Amino acid sequence: MNPTQPTQFWTEADSSSSCDVLVIGSGAGGAPTAALLAEAGFDVIVVEEGKWVEQGSVAPFSLEQMDQQYRSGGVTVALGLPSIAYTEGRCAGGGTEVNSGLYRRPPGEVIERWRDRWQINELDPDSLLLIATEVEQAIHVTPLPGPASKPSELLRRGAESLGWQFDESPRWMKYPNNDVRQGQRQSMTRTYLPRAAQSGARILTNCRVNKLHMKNTSATSAEVTLGTGKTARISFKYVFVCGGAIQTPAILQRSGLHKNIGNSLAVHPTVKLAARFSEAINIPDDVPVHQVKEFAPDLSFGGSASHAGLMALALLDQWSQFGSAIEQWRNMAIYYAAITSVGRGRVISVPGLKDPIVTYRLTRRDRELLRSGLSRLSLLMLEAGATEVFPSFRDAPIVRGRNDLTQLQNNFNAMKASVMSVHLCSTVAMGENRALCGADSFGKIHDTHNVYVNDASLLPDAPGVNPQASVMAIAIRNIRHFISHEKRNV
Amino acid sequence: MERAPSLHFLVHPTALSILRSDLPKVSADVAEQAANFTVRRIRTLPSHMRIGVTMIAAAVRLIGGVSPEQFIVRISHTHLPLISEYFRLIRSLSYAFIWETWPDTRHDGSTSDGSHL
Repeated sequence: MNPTQPTQFWTEADSSSSCDVLVIGSGAGGAPTAALLAEAGFDVIVVEEGKWVEQGSVAPFSLEQMDQQYRSGGVTVALGLPSIAYTEGRCAGGGTEVNSGLYRRPPGEVIERWRDRWQINELDPDSLLLIATEVEQAIHVTPLPGPASKPSELLRRGAESLGWQFDESPRWMKYPNNDVRQGQRQSMTRTYLPRAAQSGARILTNCRVNKLHMKNTSATSAEVTLGTGKTARISFKYVFVCGGAIQTPAILQRSGLHKNIGNSLAVHPTVKLAARFSEAINIPDDVPVHQVKEFAPDLSFGGSASHAGLMALALLDQWSQFGSAIEQWRNMAIYYAAITSVGRGRVISVPGLKDPIVTYRLTRRDRELLRSGLSRLSLLMLEAGATEVFPSFRDAPIVRGRNDLTQLQNNFNAMKASVMSVHLCSTVAMGENRALCGADSFGKIHDTHNVYVNDASLLPDAPGVNPQASVMAIAIRNIRHFISHEKRNV
Repeated sequence: MERAPSLHFLVHPTALSILRSDLPKVSADVAEQAANFTVRRIRTLPSHMRIGVTMIAAAVRLIGGVSPEQFIVRISHTHLPLISEYFRLIRSLSYAFIWETWPDTRHDGSTSDGSHL
């Protein structure tokens, strides 16, 4: 057996099990939670709804990966005007197995804002950055050992030409022989989950948590459905719900917990374009590491995976005008403009439906930011040397020069655009401000005794940067607080 | 499950009609594979989305009446919310499948050697 894989301790005959701590979910929040608890001597069970998929066994950003490692094959939508497509990892390691691997420390001013507005006790930017440094060592955050890919260099070139701020985002990668094309993602199945297993945590994949059984203000057990369809029960003293910003509130709501749960979803909405250049630049299975931060935190620019299937999607909204460009997909790459939205969404668990309904409402300011973002991104691409730019919205013009940007701005409407997001957070905000927060300053659900959240749901709002580092640092902070206070009780 | 075959009945012909219209030179085999893929993916949608898609798909089939193909092609370019999203979903899944599987497919659905095989 591969030593990194979990031991499947559960057999067909079992209908129940028990542990000190049940950790629901194995992504950026759940995996460090499980590892630190197990290393501190707690008896831990980790349940993960998806399966364990070895890295390299499916092509990155492919439809097969969507099938194997994403919820609902990657087709999930927050309803609204416009609706926003989003994706959730559903596999051992969660989103860390499928995302771009780009790393951004939580900005100090964001942490201070969270601490002050949501009244989070003992949240200190310096302490959190120390934890972030630990995370960076654990998941091997590093810059590229060599030159960036062509699509990435084009972003840099465009920003330099315009005098805009840009930087290279490091990634959680190892590069054998310093070969940038051989990067191995140091995701949770390579780092914290093996640590958890080595310290005795039992990891159960293909196991969905239906709900927690509550007795007064305490949860006593979880009802789960195994991969075989069989229902079972796991008893525990404590539970950490780490299913991500959509599934965590859904589980809590199904368990009868509703106060400030799921009503403050925050995302980074993005719009995209395809840019055509005069030479082959496409890298089908990787993403650019450069990001343009001139207008951050409101607006950031970066690059996406760009294989031919994704390129067809980028051109889809104007296929009659844009479609012929697909024949030069090797000369093209997809780029995005991401905004820090002030809109909010909801996660609503409906009795009888397996999946929660997700909604999101963009504000007028968000829509205008998307418009200016797409226009500025188009300008950036022209400066990078693009011969043609194809913005992804219905009625978009082909942008061949600066004069076309006015028409782009006039024709743009967020309702016509393909808006999407991969950064979801804030559905169970943490803090002592009871008007806003579902959990306390360390992730315990208010008015419960043993129900904790420890994932992206806790971030009070969208941080304006890739949130994974923030999620991991806060998860580790919270779990250390838990260990220091609860170890004696177990 | 009763729902699975009905979803195929409702969505598969619509996907084929759209592909034949959007990509006039796509081969029958490729269109069939793409339509099958689209139906498979729609079956895995979150439950509320699947219910919504099924309702819209049923309405489209019902209103299409005796000449569904012409109707589907005409309505597939509507800008009405929800209905337009249904057709966009079908196009997204079908196009992604075709170009990921056969990256050198031309915009009309043909290939340089005239075949996807």
